[in-house]
Amino acid sequence: MIEVENISVSLSSGRKILDEVSFNLKLGKLTAIIGKNGAGKSSILKCICGDVAYQKGMVRFEGEEINEIDLKHLATKRAVVSQKSSLEFSFTAREVVNLGRSLSSSFITSAKDEAIILKCLEMVDGLSLIDQSYTTLSGGEKQRVHFARALAQIWDRIENDKPAYLLLDEPLASLDVAHQHEMMHILQQLCKKNIAVMIVIHDLNLAAQYADYVHILKEGKTVIHGTPLEVFKEDIITHAFDYPVSVIPHPKIQCPLIISTSYMRA
Amino acid sequence: MSLIQQKFRQHKAYRKPYLTFIVLLIGLIAFSIMAVGVGPVSISSSEVIRILANKLGFISFEDGELAQYQAIVLSIRLPRVIIAILIGATLAVTGAALQGLFRNPLADPTLIGVSSGSALAAACVIVFGVNLGVLLPLAAFIGGLGATYLVYLISSKAGKTSVTTMLLAGIAINALAAAGIGYLIFNADDNQIRDLTFWTLGSISGATWEVVYKSAPFLIISCIGLPFFSKQMNVMLLGENEAKYLGIDTERVKKVIIFLSALGIGAAVAVSGIIGFVGLVVPHLLRLIIGPDHRFLIPNSILLGALLLLASDLFARMAVIPAELPIGIVTSTIGAPFFLWLLIRNKSLSNFL
Repeated sequence: MIEVENISVSLSSGRKILDEVSFNLKLGKLTAIIGKNGAGKSSILKCICGDVAYQKGMVRFEGEEINEIDLKHLATKRAVVSQKSSLEFSFTAREVVNLGRSLSSSFITSAKDEAIILKCLEMVDGLSLIDQSYTTLSGGEKQRVHFARALAQIWDRIENDKPAYLLLDEPLASLDVAHQHEMMHILQQLCKKNIAVMIVIHDLNLAAQYADYVHILKEGKTVIHGTPLEVFKEDIITHAFDYPVSVIPHPKIQCPLIISTSYMRA
Repeated sequence: MSLIQQKFRQHKAYRKPYLTFIVLLIGLIAFSIMAVGVGPVSISSSEVIRILANKLGFISFEDGELAQYQAIVLSIRLPRVIIAILIGATLAVTGAALQGLFRNPLADPTLIGVSSGSALAAACVIVFGVNLGVLLPLAAFIGGLGATYLVYLISSKAGKTSVTTMLLAGIAINALAAAGIGYLIFNADDNQIRDLTFWTLGSISGATWEVVYKSAPFLIISCIGLPFFSKQMNVMLLGENEAKYLGIDTERVKKVIIFLSALGIGAAVAVSGIIGFVGLVVPHLLRLIIGPDHRFLIPNSILLGALLLLASDLFARMAVIPAELPIGIVTSTIGAPFFLWLLIRNKSLSNFL
């Protein structure tokens, strides 16, 4: 479990990025972080990754302070998909996914690693991209390849149902609707294999449909933490985003459906 | 056969980097033997092989003529060929490593100020110094390390190094070194200007066994050490944060790469002056053939760099007999148009990175 306890982060200018944020990432659960632009979603992810120094509070990874843990040890259990991953060199998709195997693999890629690369790419519907140069891929294809890389990183644990953590920062932003749902479905399946997934996401309906817990941030503060049914209420969402929405029951499945009610055509 | 099996098979058949390595290795050995034979006194390759085999104790001969050749091969041409191989390999491998480190395919040893730092220190020795023999290489080496360290110091903050700041700092150091050298040239007498010019043009005509013994350890450490970090370099290309997520101790890797590179380049510049474009062109050319994976790029760069400099030196020796061209002129004449051709052919950089 990853425990986030009263995390506060301020910039040197005095602006508070995060203010007393607390929640837990439980194994086997998908936690979605939502909120307005600049609400602190990516900052909390960076705190959990150990990239941002927090002034107050603590992030505990399986009971230990995150910054005290050996990088290599952490990398075997936790994979991160960043918002923007740049790669200027023309690696093939296969080679990019292979970077995820860096820690575990021998110097020369083994047949076992090669099999894992293929499995991970297959999972994200990326087998056809395998020999294509990364620089020629579209934005959505790049995101899928990075997702496959993160899967490859913690594959040994996924395969053996051992606890692992997957942190994703807006991994669906460039994906088409079919791939968005496919990715969320994969994340749900991973949760069943004892993985804790945290996803920073903008699409409220994807969060409502797939997340176990939703954490809403506004101006660095927690608005609410709860199940989708508890969280997706008209007043809460309208307040969190300063934007009027209606929440109605989904006609086909049992989950809330969030629709915009502003700027509607007359 | 399923798609996944099909892809697996295709990968198994993918042997290009290994094949390239073997071709380059054979080419380098063959070319080295030929290069030892070429010169004012022409010696055939079979004679070169017999002389080398005799020296190594595999065979012995009592042939007067070959004994005469033996002196030319062993004392004059062999050290020069070895120096060309070592410097070419070092320039290419450090170029590839720095390009990986900076995630910038245009990074070159000259970019972070190593070469110009070395050149400035050497220019000081030429203008102010007395004993050129020992002082010049030493100064170039220290100048190179000093410049790299200074750039590193400027660009690193709280244990983290910004690649962008580092590149910009390198540009500033280069400008400063250029100004310093300009000032020294302004103050130098005619003889010194000739020395300075020759040195900054790049030349390995002074290669002797003594030079080999003094510089080879540094050049070899650089060439052997850097390949051990190719996997880390691959991951670093994703960015420093991503590399950390993947378990790489980025600060340590950066320091080691910078140190090994400065060591190699400093030693190379000390021996030969500034030889440009090898570190830029060789990795570029190889990326086009075998892709950007450093596990293959780095070893292949060592071989192709050695081959390129050996060929350039051969040309420098033979082009204007009995005089010699500075080798830096040859590499720039080959390298600059090649680089322009790459740019024109691909229109935008991103197409061939």
